Amino acid sequence: MDIATHVFSALYQFGDAFAFLVLSACGLAVIFGMMGVINLAHGEFIMCGAYVTAATVHAGLPLPLGILTGTLVSALVGVVVELAVIRHLYERPLDTIVATWGLSLIATQGTLIMVGSTMAGVGTPFGSFQVGDYSYSIYRIVLFCAAIGVLAALYALFNWTRFGVLARATIQVPHMAAALGVDTRLIYSLTFACGAGLAGLAGGLYAPTMTLVPTMGATFIMEAFVTVVIGGADVFLGTAPAGAVLAVVKSVMTSWQGQLFGQIGLLVAVIIVVRVLPKGISGFVLRERT
Amino acid sequence: MSLLELRKLNKHFGGLHVTNSVDLTLQAGEIHCLIGPNGAGKSTLFRLILGEHHPGSGDILFAGEDITALKSFARIHRGLSVKFQVPGVFRGLSVRQNLEIALQSRHRGTELEAEIGRLLHFLGLESEHTQIAGNLSHGQKQWLEIGMAVSLKPRLLLLDEPTAGMSPEETHLTGEMVQRLNADGMTVLAIEHDMAFVRQVAHRVTVLHLGQVFAQGSIDEIVADERVAAIYLGQAHA
Amino acid sequence: MTGLLAMFRRLEGPQTVGRGPAFWALFALVLAAALAYPLFSDGYTVGNTVYFFVWVFIALSLCLIWGYGGSLSFGQTAFFGIAGYGYGVLTINFGSAYGFTLLALVIAVAIAALFAVLLGYFMFFGRIAGVFLGIVTLAVTLMLERFMAQTAGPEWRIGAARLNGFNGMSAMPPLTIPWPGEPIVLFADIGLYYLVLGLLVLVYLALRILMNSSFGNVIVAIRENPERAEMLGYDIRKYQLITFVIGAALAGLSGVLYTVWGQYITPSSMGMTAAALPLIWVAVGGRSDLTSTVIGTLVVLAAFQALTIYGSQYALVFMGVLLVLTVLIAPNGLVLGAMNWLGRIAARFTQRAG
Repeated sequence: MDIATHVFSALYQFGDAFAFLVLSACGLAVIFGMMGVINLAHGEFIMCGAYVTAATVHAGLPLPLGILTGTLVSALVGVVVELAVIRHLYERPLDTIVATWGLSLIATQGTLIMVGSTMAGVGTPFGSFQVGDYSYSIYRIVLFCAAIGVLAALYALFNWTRFGVLARATIQVPHMAAALGVDTRLIYSLTFACGAGLAGLAGGLYAPTMTLVPTMGATFIMEAFVTVVIGGADVFLGTAPAGAVLAVVKSVMTSWQGQLFGQIGLLVAVIIVVRVLPKGISGFVLRERT
Repeated sequence: MSLLELRKLNKHFGGLHVTNSVDLTLQAGEIHCLIGPNGAGKSTLFRLILGEHHPGSGDILFAGEDITALKSFARIHRGLSVKFQVPGVFRGLSVRQNLEIALQSRHRGTELEAEIGRLLHFLGLESEHTQIAGNLSHGQKQWLEIGMAVSLKPRLLLLDEPTAGMSPEETHLTGEMVQRLNADGMTVLAIEHDMAFVRQVAHRVTVLHLGQVFAQGSIDEIVADERVAAIYLGQAHA
Repeated sequence: MTGLLAMFRRLEGPQTVGRGPAFWALFALVLAAALAYPLFSDGYTVGNTVYFFVWVFIALSLCLIWGYGGSLSFGQTAFFGIAGYGYGVLTINFGSAYGFTLLALVIAVAIAALFAVLLGYFMFFGRIAGVFLGIVTLAVTLMLERFMAQTAGPEWRIGAARLNGFNGMSAMPPLTIPWPGEPIVLFADIGLYYLVLGLLVLVYLALRILMNSSFGNVIVAIRENPERAEMLGYDIRKYQLITFVIGAALAGLSGVLYTVWGQYITPSSMGMTAAALPLIWVAVGGRSDLTSTVIGTLVVLAAFQALTIYGSQYALVFMGVLLVLTVLIAPNGLVLGAMNWLGRIAARFTQRAG
């Protein structure tokens, strides 16, 4: 095998890890950055997106439409959850964690009761291609492009739309924004829906690559946490660079010692980073800038 | 004898110099007031003295010892104490327990009880001692926090806007409290906007502007200084 | 007599609900009932009660760290698991002769505490607080579960002890007290019951003394306002770390006793669901009070067990609903709310009488 195929293999693994980290984390990061709230039911929103995607594909819809449906349904559930629970807990961030954990328990066990212990999956589309001695899944490349696309779309949303400007104003000075007539409650609702929708999108995108079980959210949630903890409160200055750094750690550790060590590597990286940069990468970047 | 000495203290966040080469010397036994328009760097200076921020360059000397590298709690052990701008009491605990937490590392048993009683009397909070601190009036919270800060028997007491939100009578009472503490030998450095309070207590006044020491002197000298009036007026127009 | 009174005074204070002769008389009554209970019951029911008691330690650990200290830790089940596996590995390798099982209990708890020192150092000295503390501890816990779940292969062994992956470890010897003639083996019925009850009373009283001491004062001060606490001269990182380690040791004790009780331990004891349950007991009971936590844990566990007749999924959904409703409606906990209400009624009653 020549150098080029080695390089390609490394890049492919990096891209795969990056996509997984960014896609699982950005929904969590949007909500955290906006409201300082960690949504422990994040994994269950991902599960919701995956299940709805699979169900619609089984019903005959093409996969992209299925993923879109999954995203929208998750966002809708997000609105309901925000109205029913989160809204009442804005002053108590620790209680929000606890309450969303309760929701996660309800969602996991409720799905188990209603849908059963597994759901028929969706085949991975596009097949594979060969580089050197190894074959690679084309869909993984699609996922990487999707991650980049999501980051770009979020950048556009927060910088170029009226919602984005109001949302950023609300993050920085909530009282001022409220005084200026911004409906901060609506902004919070929409942000939560946006985060839930992004989780649903991650679920929909990964639905064709994994077995669908009620506890599948747990597969994503650790990576999502780790990325948000390292990244800090800002999606662009935090989640994206954190995703890149952690993807290197994960792909190197995985190809060296296997998947488990990839995850252990992530965890160790987190614990060391929080010791050095308590506010995450974005906190560090922002402190240097202002 | 100088108790606190700040030498060429610099702190910047990114490109913004919050304090710019500040030199300030506090004599033991004086009441020193720090005034200046909003954003002058007064609270940042306090945070530097307390070790919540670390200076980019410069030294902080306390009683002749360089404390620039010490952690906050270690500076407290050297004889510093502070009352914050927003009253920092333990809101969910009773007034008595607030004071107990402040006093317990120095006193035990009946002696602790006696100290708490003495402090409650000093603060005029005797009838409130079982109340939850969060339910006190704003002025009472300020006093309670002053009481906690004082209970450490500090050599230097830092007060960040001790009379904010107080009525003129309460402000005057607070001034008397500070003077009594000073008479017992405590050095005081206070950030204050209330000129009546400054006039009541200050031996010396330092004006901070744009992170630099702008003027220093007695209250009469400062009030007479046209340049000082100009920066306040400029602030008002801006 | 005065010594006894002084001891009682140290058990009471603003940090714990319940004081005075009436409370301690009730306490003595409940203790007497608990001591007499196995005489009127069968082995299975007693064993089941031991199972309930075992969980109280981990609930108390969360009460200490979260309720009093204000740091939400999702990692208590990690310490539970570490100590449980620790006990298993030690006793399977070295057997139960010469009272080694008792030593293994202590060592296993110490291992959990040591792990907490390491993790806590990075978190508290990195000034991790609030929401992030919860996430880091949860990530560590899930990581441990994943790690243990993949140890099915024969290469994963420590001495004679196979870790056994998802199926977990089993057949470790029960606690054995060396005795002239024949050693006393504490199977999961009356013998273990008295040991666990004794430990429970000891831990409960010790925690009451700790929380009403000057140390406890600092802990709640940090919960209320960490900056103010530091500016009173307390090195808050040190206090947080010590609390975290004590909590970890208690969770570890829970883990060892659980392993001893059922003679097995599995990775799922560290999973998401397992980690959620202590949180529910403590939140429903009343996280900022020891007595409420003990009562809440026992009541919710009993309710949970009653509900599992209809299937454990239904019981878990119910637990989730209970948790969400508690947080929304009675954030200080149901048992604590009820106890405060009873206290007020009692006070009014005594006032009228006097």
